[in-house]
Amino acid sequence: MNHVFELEGVDYQLWLSRCQQGYQLHLGDEVLALLTFSHQGDGRGLLTIAGASEPVRFAIDGDTVHLRIRGRTRILRYRDPLSAHGLVNKDAGHLVARAPMPGVVVKTWVLPGDQISEGSELMVIESMKLESVIRSPQDGVVDQIHFKEGESFEHGAVLVTITEEGH
Amino acid sequence: MRKLPFDTVLIANRGEIAVRIIKTLRELELRSAVVYHDLDAGAPAVSMADMAIAVSGRTPVAAYLDAAQILAAAREASVGAIHPGYGFLAENAEFARAVVESGFAFVGPTPESIDLMGDKIRARNFVQRNGFPVVPSAIEEDDPASFIQRARSIGGPLLVKASAGGGGKGMRIVRDLDSLQDAIAQARGEAQRYFGDGRLYIERYIEKPRHIEVQVLGDCFGNVVHLFERECSVQRRFQKVIEEAPASTLPPGLRERICETAADIARAANYRNAGTVEFIVRGGEFYFLEMNTRLQVEHPVTEMITGVDIVAEQLYVAGGHELRFSQQNIVSTGHAIEARVYAEAPERGFAPTTGKVLVLDYPSGPGFRIDSGVSQGQQITTAFDSLLAKVIVHSSTRNEAALTAERAMQELVLLGCETNASFLARVLADEQFLRGQVHTGYLDENPQLTAGDSASDLSTFLAAAALLTRPVRDSADAVPELHASLGGWRNA
Repeated sequence: MNHVFELEGVDYQLWLSRCQQGYQLHLGDEVLALLTFSHQGDGRGLLTIAGASEPVRFAIDGDTVHLRIRGRTRILRYRDPLSAHGLVNKDAGHLVARAPMPGVVVKTWVLPGDQISEGSELMVIESMKLESVIRSPQDGVVDQIHFKEGESFEHGAVLVTITEEGH
Repeated sequence: MRKLPFDTVLIANRGEIAVRIIKTLRELELRSAVVYHDLDAGAPAVSMADMAIAVSGRTPVAAYLDAAQILAAAREASVGAIHPGYGFLAENAEFARAVVESGFAFVGPTPESIDLMGDKIRARNFVQRNGFPVVPSAIEEDDPASFIQRARSIGGPLLVKASAGGGGKGMRIVRDLDSLQDAIAQARGEAQRYFGDGRLYIERYIEKPRHIEVQVLGDCFGNVVHLFERECSVQRRFQKVIEEAPASTLPPGLRERICETAADIARAANYRNAGTVEFIVRGGEFYFLEMNTRLQVEHPVTEMITGVDIVAEQLYVAGGHELRFSQQNIVSTGHAIEARVYAEAPERGFAPTTGKVLVLDYPSGPGFRIDSGVSQGQQITTAFDSLLAKVIVHSSTRNEAALTAERAMQELVLLGCETNASFLARVLADEQFLRGQVHTGYLDENPQLTAGDSASDLSTFLAAAALLTRPVRDSADAVPELHASLGGWRNA
């Protein structure tokens, strides 16, 4: 069966099969063989692809695999096929404005109950020295502001909930 | 060891700089106290300090800006001196004054010096009055009616800046003087929005300048020395990324003139303790930019080439001692490079990154120095500056230092939170960087260094991830080899 890993916002479908004393990786049209991974303890291992070995440093945190290979670090998320995934941007007549990156709320321009139109400035957020404005994706009424000025939030956090007009 | 009038020092800071100051306090057999916000409870500075006192605030940053709580902590810990580090309250004259009035020694310049040199326009006017070179400029406040006319007479290109500004906000480059009026209106709007202060000034825009700064040290007996220059031209959005000492390819005569000018400016200002005089350099010309009245992030490169522990000197000066060396005693040896490891993803517009530090392994070896503010298990948040650590290397030549620093970036392992280490490695290996042809626009002109190669080694990473993920391996193990070999076309 196909498994999905997400890396920097892109999904990669792949599957493994047994092959001799190891595995082969099926990645689109590409097949990588012969693969083995020997654990050396303490988050260290040796990945061998067709006889060539690479030292690997790794850490596994739930569904997330952190890897360091050839001086480069990547974070890959395993998408469990059984769990529902994907961000819901619209539910029960509510629209949500999500944080495009982690940061701090600098200023909020609106209050719950305010009528807003598409493109209205809702909030100014700051991530490091970069300020950006969160704007309303459409006309509506502000339902809830989820973070106060000065509060920090993570990537993907719901910042503002908006009710569509008439709801 | 010379006697100091205090035996305990409070560090009003956090992160790597708090750790760095504690190290010197230990060497001088002084006790250390730190203040910390709850989010930093697991940080190395808190466990290393002899005493740690919690402070709180409306935001985590506000806690470290709360002078009243910091002074209360200083009394609680019975300290004799307060070191402000950099950032936070380090250049706040009111705080320095309150520290002194509360009976503590302030490990930094006098409040008067901070007032004079910490304010951009005041410092610039002072420096110009004393006959040192500044970029030709027009200051609105001097005579608002003639502002535009005075700006025009400087000649283009021009840079419009907010008087109250910083961090690139309210700044406009004007190449065509006909658009000057529009640029002023835009900059004023931005300055008003960001700083609540629409005052502007305009200066000649220096194209592709180098950012060269000079470390100075003064005591309360009127002695001032410089500890040579640092090159800090590799910047992005006015944020320094890689610093080095000495500045490569500066002609020797120019190097000496810049260093001596910096010491003369500090002398004219009757400056004491550690400070940095920043210049912009273009061709054979150099101009005073600003003075930082504090210890700087990049001070370790100067320590590496001179062997001077700047924090120790700061403490001795604050304790009333005379400088223990004169200019002739300070010698520069070899080349040092510092790379700043940030929790950010250059490949995604330098977006800040967060996460728990799962694995942390710093490179080590002769000539290596790591100033780190994080430890394994610590949660990295966006509540504070994203600087995680500084990796500093010292070698006999610049090329060797660059090579060693690049290797350090390859060897550094920090898993759990993305960092800019690969980006730093790319810059350190870049041809133009290695030739020393850097200026403040270098990173903008070389976007490939920021972007990286997102596709490289992709299948290797996916293979490792697949082999390390139980369900992926299990489903392979569950299928006999013969069926698996049919899988390719069965799935198609």
